[in-house]
Amino acid sequence: MTDDPSTLPPRWAESLLRMMLRPADRESISGDLLEEYRQSIVPALGARADRWYVRQVGWYVLRATWPWAALAGGILVGRYLLDTLAPVQYTRGIRHPRSTIMSWALIATYALGGCWQAWRTARLSGGIVGAFVTTALGGALSSLGTVLCLAVWHDPQMWRAIQGSGGIEEALYGVPLMLVPVGVLVGTVGATFGRTAAAIYDVSKPNTKSA
Amino acid sequence: MADVLGAFEQAVLLAIVRLGDDAYGRAILKEAQARLDRDIAAGAVHATLDRLEHKRLIVSRLGSGTPVRAGRARRYYRPLPAGIRALNDARAAVDHIWRGLKWPLVKARSFA
Repeated sequence: MTDDPSTLPPRWAESLLRMMLRPADRESISGDLLEEYRQSIVPALGARADRWYVRQVGWYVLRATWPWAALAGGILVGRYLLDTLAPVQYTRGIRHPRSTIMSWALIATYALGGCWQAWRTARLSGGIVGAFVTTALGGALSSLGTVLCLAVWHDPQMWRAIQGSGGIEEALYGVPLMLVPVGVLVGTVGATFGRTAAAIYDVSKPNTKSA
Repeated sequence: MADVLGAFEQAVLLAIVRLGDDAYGRAILKEAQARLDRDIAAGAVHATLDRLEHKRLIVSRLGSGTPVRAGRARRYYRPLPAGIRALNDARAAVDHIWRGLKWPLVKARSFA
């Protein structure tokens, strides 16, 4: 057991944790983790204790962002499936309704994800980090979904359809990577709205109701 | 009929009952880990506590902090009557479906 106040988890991980928590939980949950880290984990794991702490923080970050990331990943995989199973002729300079609908659906997902995260944490930074994780995780899910789809459908006709809609590289990593700055930018706009709404409705009051 | 509790929700709620006045986040985590005999993410316990509170099965209050927590407040939980009812219902349901069987079960007869 160590009560040494100099025994601290990685500062960035603790900042990230506090950024992703609701104001009502910020003190109690970060305190629980710090207490566990100092009293049980450091004595048991030594130098590997920091890894434990980062894993715990990852859990909270994933929990806060996975619905939006799954939605973004689903939209991207849906677009890929539509383009390969029901291809349309794209003309340079003309936006196809399918592209427009998918683009706006993604923009709405990133914006709402950032807005919701900033609202619940009452922090702009929480919304921006949430938007980044949503975009990155959504992209990773989309790549995974594309690989799974390829495992199911990979006949020559399908390959021709894939090449006709931008190529496999675009679906696997081109679009997911390109969307990271877009998602962060749009998420930041959403986060600004969320933070403003949180300030107006004062969600930052800690939950101190007595039992 | 009270809320139907999952196994993990029962473990967390029973940890609160066992710990009494000392039921705060980390203590509940340790108790649940000991009873379930496996490592549990702190986030899983906090998420379950949040859900149980949302279902109005438990209630919480903030207590004081300690130096080992860098002075950060502890959140203490206690069960509400609906929580106790839900636990009793869960136990009754398990007892009911096991009635008439000897435990532990012996190997099932083969069809061959």
